[in-house]
Amino acid sequence: MALLEIKNLTLFIDTGNATVKALEKVNLVLNEGEILALVGESGSGKSLIVRCIIGAIPDYWSIKADRITYAGQDLLNMSYEQRRQIMRREIAVVFQEPTSSLDPSVTIGEQLEESIPDELISKGWFWQKNKQRRQIAISLIHKIGIKEHQKYLSAYPHEIPKDVSQKIMIAMALASEPKILIADDSTRGMESTTKIQILRLLLKLNKTKNLAILFVSHDLLAITSVAHSMTVLYCGQTVESGRVKSLLKRPLHPYTKALLDSAPSFQVSLPTKSPLVALEGTIPTLQHLPAGCRLGPRCPNARKECVQVPAPRAIQDHTYSCHFPLHLPEKLSHQAQRISKGIGGDE
Amino acid sequence: MNKILSVNNIEYTHTIKSGLFGSLQSFQLGPISFDMHEGETIAIIGNNGSGKSMLAKALVGAVPLSSGTIDLYNSEASDQAVQTKIRTRGQDIRLILQHNADALNPSLSIGSILTQTLSLNTDFGEAQKREKIEETLVKVGLLREHYYYYRHMLSDGQQQRIAMARALLLDPKIIVADEPFAALDPSVRSQTINLILKLQNELGLGFVFISHNIGIVRHISDRVLVIDKGKIIEQGLTSEVFLNPQQPVTQKLIQSHFSMVEKHFARL
Amino acid sequence: MQRFNLYQEEYHPSPLVNIWLEFRRSHIALSGFVLLVLFLIITVFAPLLAPYSPELQNTNAILLPPSWEPNGTIAHLLGTDGLGRDVFSRLLYACRTTFGSSLVIVAISVFIGVGVGALAGVLSGLRSSIVNHLFDSIMSIPTLLIAIVMVAILGTGLFNAMMAITLALIPQFVHQTRTYVRNELQKDYVLLDRLDGASSRRIFIFSILPGMVELIVVQATIALSVAIIDISALGFLSLGAQEPTIELGASLSLALDVAYVAPWLIILPGMCIFLMILSINVVGEGLRSALRNRLHH
Repeated sequence: MALLEIKNLTLFIDTGNATVKALEKVNLVLNEGEILALVGESGSGKSLIVRCIIGAIPDYWSIKADRITYAGQDLLNMSYEQRRQIMRREIAVVFQEPTSSLDPSVTIGEQLEESIPDELISKGWFWQKNKQRRQIAISLIHKIGIKEHQKYLSAYPHEIPKDVSQKIMIAMALASEPKILIADDSTRGMESTTKIQILRLLLKLNKTKNLAILFVSHDLLAITSVAHSMTVLYCGQTVESGRVKSLLKRPLHPYTKALLDSAPSFQVSLPTKSPLVALEGTIPTLQHLPAGCRLGPRCPNARKECVQVPAPRAIQDHTYSCHFPLHLPEKLSHQAQRISKGIGGDE
Repeated sequence: MNKILSVNNIEYTHTIKSGLFGSLQSFQLGPISFDMHEGETIAIIGNNGSGKSMLAKALVGAVPLSSGTIDLYNSEASDQAVQTKIRTRGQDIRLILQHNADALNPSLSIGSILTQTLSLNTDFGEAQKREKIEETLVKVGLLREHYYYYRHMLSDGQQQRIAMARALLLDPKIIVADEPFAALDPSVRSQTINLILKLQNELGLGFVFISHNIGIVRHISDRVLVIDKGKIIEQGLTSEVFLNPQQPVTQKLIQSHFSMVEKHFARL
Repeated sequence: MQRFNLYQEEYHPSPLVNIWLEFRRSHIALSGFVLLVLFLIITVFAPLLAPYSPELQNTNAILLPPSWEPNGTIAHLLGTDGLGRDVFSRLLYACRTTFGSSLVIVAISVFIGVGVGALAGVLSGLRSSIVNHLFDSIMSIPTLLIAIVMVAILGTGLFNAMMAITLALIPQFVHQTRTYVRNELQKDYVLLDRLDGASSRRIFIFSILPGMVELIVVQATIALSVAIIDISALGFLSLGAQEPTIELGASLSLALDVAYVAPWLIILPGMCIFLMILSINVVGEGLRSALRNRLHH
């Protein structure tokens, strides 16, 4: 069942002289107990999507979407109070920079205790409550795989290593026992040993607590080792989404293919020191977005038709947006379109 | 292959005083020794805080050595114009830093940044400097026009190319790079790796880099040095070390990477 | 290799030009800037612009109202004062003294402040912290108070007042420069410059100073408005410029005696001070928002 669903989300950003579509018709479905990877390079709008979900939207942004729902409740048309409740209890976010998300003047223990909602504390006198909070904080620390809780609870954020503070952030997010955890680039710039600890932690939480995780990253190695399905984003457009397995086996969109090719570990047959396959150029800035399919100028097989935005098409649950998908003969791709028309009837 | 660099027992002690009356904490780097040959790529791997970055800084001369020597072997003169002046170690071993917003001065144009490097280290005339800079910009895959650009007009990948151009400007023998790929996006990262491979082919550069991306290390390096607590605990040909790591630290580093790769292939 | 420029006509604005482009977008800031330029022109060309000598006493026309009043004449555009001197000419000269001396004050304090600040930023340890804390504690005292104390010691006069205000303005530049230089020295590009073989002095002049210009300009606009207020306040209290030097604050205090008979003698210099401060603050604010926004477009 879809826990979090985004359908045709378009985000307009007013830059002063013009309004740009920072996100264009983004679709995303996070099912219960699933790890969904949101893949994209910097500037692809990953963090914008996260902010749209949590509702942290400045004045000069405006959102248009067919729906953004959490467990069937419409997040767009609900009162501020209701939405805040959901954000507080059901959806937890771990932001990119752990060091700047923690208050530098307060100890880790106090911050952790503060993030525990009152409802989880049974009734009692305030000293009993404080004791309970401390207990819960300690158990949270244990839960994320840190044994020496004494050492860290009384420490200040600058005294602990970066990967530990990332784990602390996860612990704080877990304090309210959420249904969804949004991890915004949690493993960026980490050693492989510490990275794998974080990934193991996420996997464990997913398995034991049936926690749905939206894993935002561009680290393909990390994604393929934990995620069940993935949505690939390029420059504010969803280019391809589906089960990780089918995307890895047969990427249909040229961008997905390029991303997969960029990790040398994935190519066993590649001789060492040989050049890697890379798309030319860089991701365009918001001011210079190309018309139609935004990969157009960099795409190796772009043609005339690519100035139109390709409609999403689906083969089973593998959705892609490309006029000329890879690995797919012309005939089959037309068939796929028919299928999508059948699906898209309710729009 | 010619030996171009030999590092002999270099040592450096880094002391931090914590607080006004705090205790002195020191970190001991070295003694470290290794040799390097022409066109070789050496990767330095190790856990956080193992002294990788400090080794890179010690190599380029950003921190003073307390003992040991770094010897360069001049093979044939690569560029007559530059050779006329006595070259220092800083000109032959150049540093590239991890891509970040502070690595380029935001208030100067690329041209004036690169001109400064040349005027400090060569006695080129204005026209000669200009020519050299434009030539180098083209070499790293940029346009001559990037001479006039400022940092905010360049993308991440282009900024990293400028860093490369700055390093190459003095025709160095060796480039030392501290996490050159870490902050780059996958596709830009591939472009940068390709560029380095190409330049190495063309110029016969020695390339020393620090990375925590084991996949890249495996792909582009000839040899690896594994650093832990300021010392080399394991070194050898990349293929051999990866096939048969001896030290627990190395095993952990390599296995954690390959466990992810295996998961990837298990899904295919 | 082929040698032609593909994008020769393309314009490459530098960060400073960018600030100007961004500054120009705000009409209010631009009109403030025009006013400021006007004051600058008056300061430089006052003797050419003034119709009469400021000392010339026209005994036939004493306390003449401005020309738009029924009794006014076009010969004395803004009327005359109690000694029959042309108010318009005197106003031009007064603006010249106030604005000009403030500009000199700010220029000198920027020069000294940035120099000392840079030194304090590059130095480390005890010396740096002495410079820092000394100037920081001076900054907590209002500039006017320092100026009054100094005038009390040195004696009255425009020169002494200028010296006092200069000394009072220096600490803020020292502080700003020191913080900025400290900050920049930590950055990677300075390390790269060092590895290129640049000395500390060279790094400061060629790498750090260009980025600091905008900061100094903004700080200088604030200092300029403070300097104008202080100069005219000291003049008003008869601690600053003395007769025969004409100064806005001093002419304001002179006009107090005839305030009921000739209110324009108070209003006109007051308006001048007001417009000066307003234009400077508007320009300063425009610069600050231009600095904030320039990278967004």
